[in-house]
Amino acid sequence: MSGKWLDTSIKGFLLDITGVCYDSAGNSGIPIEGSIEAIKLLRQAKIPFRFCSNESTASRVHLARKLGEIGFDIKAEEITCPAPVAAQLLRERGLRPFFLVKDEVLEEFEGINSTNANCVVMGDAQENFSYENVNRAFSVLINSPTPILISMGCGRYYKETDGLKIDVGAYCKGLEYACGIKAEFVGKPDPKYFLSALEQLKISPANCVMIGDDVAGDCGAAQKAGMRALLVRTGKYRPEDERRTDVQPDGVVDNLLQAVQAFLDFKNAKAE
Amino acid sequence: MPNRTLLAGENAENSAPVMKADLKHLLPAFRALHKHTRMTRFCMALIDLSGTLHVDDQAQPGAVAAIDRLRQSGIPLRFVTNTTKESKRLIHQRLLNMGFHIKIDEIFTSLTAARKILEAKKWRPWFIVSDEAMEDFDGLPTENPNAVVIGLAPEKLNHENMNKAFDMIFNQGAHLVAIHKSRYYQTKHGLALGPGAFVTGLEYATDTKAQVVGKPDAAFFLSAIPGSLCTHKLNEIVMIGDDIRDDVGGALKAGLSAILVRTGKYKAGDEAKIEPSHPTFIANDIVEAVNYILEDEL
Repeated sequence: MSGKWLDTSIKGFLLDITGVCYDSAGNSGIPIEGSIEAIKLLRQAKIPFRFCSNESTASRVHLARKLGEIGFDIKAEEITCPAPVAAQLLRERGLRPFFLVKDEVLEEFEGINSTNANCVVMGDAQENFSYENVNRAFSVLINSPTPILISMGCGRYYKETDGLKIDVGAYCKGLEYACGIKAEFVGKPDPKYFLSALEQLKISPANCVMIGDDVAGDCGAAQKAGMRALLVRTGKYRPEDERRTDVQPDGVVDNLLQAVQAFLDFKNAKAE
Repeated sequence: MPNRTLLAGENAENSAPVMKADLKHLLPAFRALHKHTRMTRFCMALIDLSGTLHVDDQAQPGAVAAIDRLRQSGIPLRFVTNTTKESKRLIHQRLLNMGFHIKIDEIFTSLTAARKILEAKKWRPWFIVSDEAMEDFDGLPTENPNAVVIGLAPEKLNHENMNKAFDMIFNQGAHLVAIHKSRYYQTKHGLALGPGAFVTGLEYATDTKAQVVGKPDAAFFLSAIPGSLCTHKLNEIVMIGDDIRDDVGGALKAGLSAILVRTGKYKAGDEAKIEPSHPTFIANDIVEAVNYILEDEL
């Protein structure tokens, strides 16, 4: 591991969840080795950090509970997720969505009228991505004079414990193609999304490091938002991710714990 | 008048009386023949099925008679379809049940074209294809598959199968074969999603390009044209369909002429979707399209 990303300007971290903290497995999951401890160490050292995820299979409360059940100490209010951003967008524009999502995320959209839909909001709906459901979303879009498709993330795939899984981006691109439209994306890699997470942390991009397992969606995107980015060799990571010429992370670490330890060692050495 | 052989361009009326009588005798047959060759400037017609001749099990009004009239002109007809839901035999049976006079050998489906490609490349397929269509793939080797073949199979286009396809392509390097890539099609309940959305999704997730078999691929149109017609100019072959991109755009790109019918999946404004090219003719339905080919009064 190279330590060239380390310097005294680092004040905090944004952490991806899936593939960095844990590998998902349906309604449960398995912590990635060292990640529970890494988060403990950050808390003990009082380093500001926040979770910046494209997780759209569940609400923040649901996700925090799921992570709690497998040993993490993570609060719902520490998580930036696309669903609340999408909900805010629907309220601002008075849109009535058809939801192509999992039921577990719906509580983020409470109070939003979804009768007589005039737009589609999609997330990682997993088993709800049946032909019938995708076709219903298609019907809303193709029969609308001004079709609006809002997608929570545009990921290609992610890691579950039993292998890589196709992500919401695939179905979103499919609907774009069928309807001849462009979706609006909420979540990473939108720089505004990273910045909204940083606002909560009250630190500027130049003082923050993003840690993720998606070399483009986490690392490249965070760099575009003015941050540094570390790639972890966990989750969906593949060795070829380090050989890409279009995106180059500021550092590559074996896992989250290695990054946190390197940072704390560096900080302690400077303090001595 | 000297008795001699007629020269080219010389009028038989001025020749020997015996010849004049012979010609009169042949006139009805000559007129019939003449009528056939004069009636249309096209030497062949390719015709789409779903949305153009029928929707579900309902023939379009006047479609059966229109095809009969077109057939009487003597030009060969081929029916080219991206229907992937059922085998050629079942499609043929359905057309007969609707009253169409169509021979099974006149039907070219993207399923049979896909089979030819799998055989030629010696690929071993795994299918996301409707059970009703599977008989067109009988006998192909499927053990240890190295190609994902995807068609319109609502009951099989689900997340589990999409994940399996993704794994085969992304992790095991399998090929992706799209029986076609249609965006949507017309049903009696309205427009429904075609397999194109799912093919596009797999292409995006795996960062690969599918081999697309059916319309609008030029090779598919050309495969339906008999070798004996190859001497004709391609633009004397006309395609009729309701899909501006797959039928009309594809045929024009292959060098054929193309008529867009405003039935089936047609939506107002479709004409402009293939700019800068333009349909050879835009007809309200198959009847008007046939009238145009036969140069009748519209």
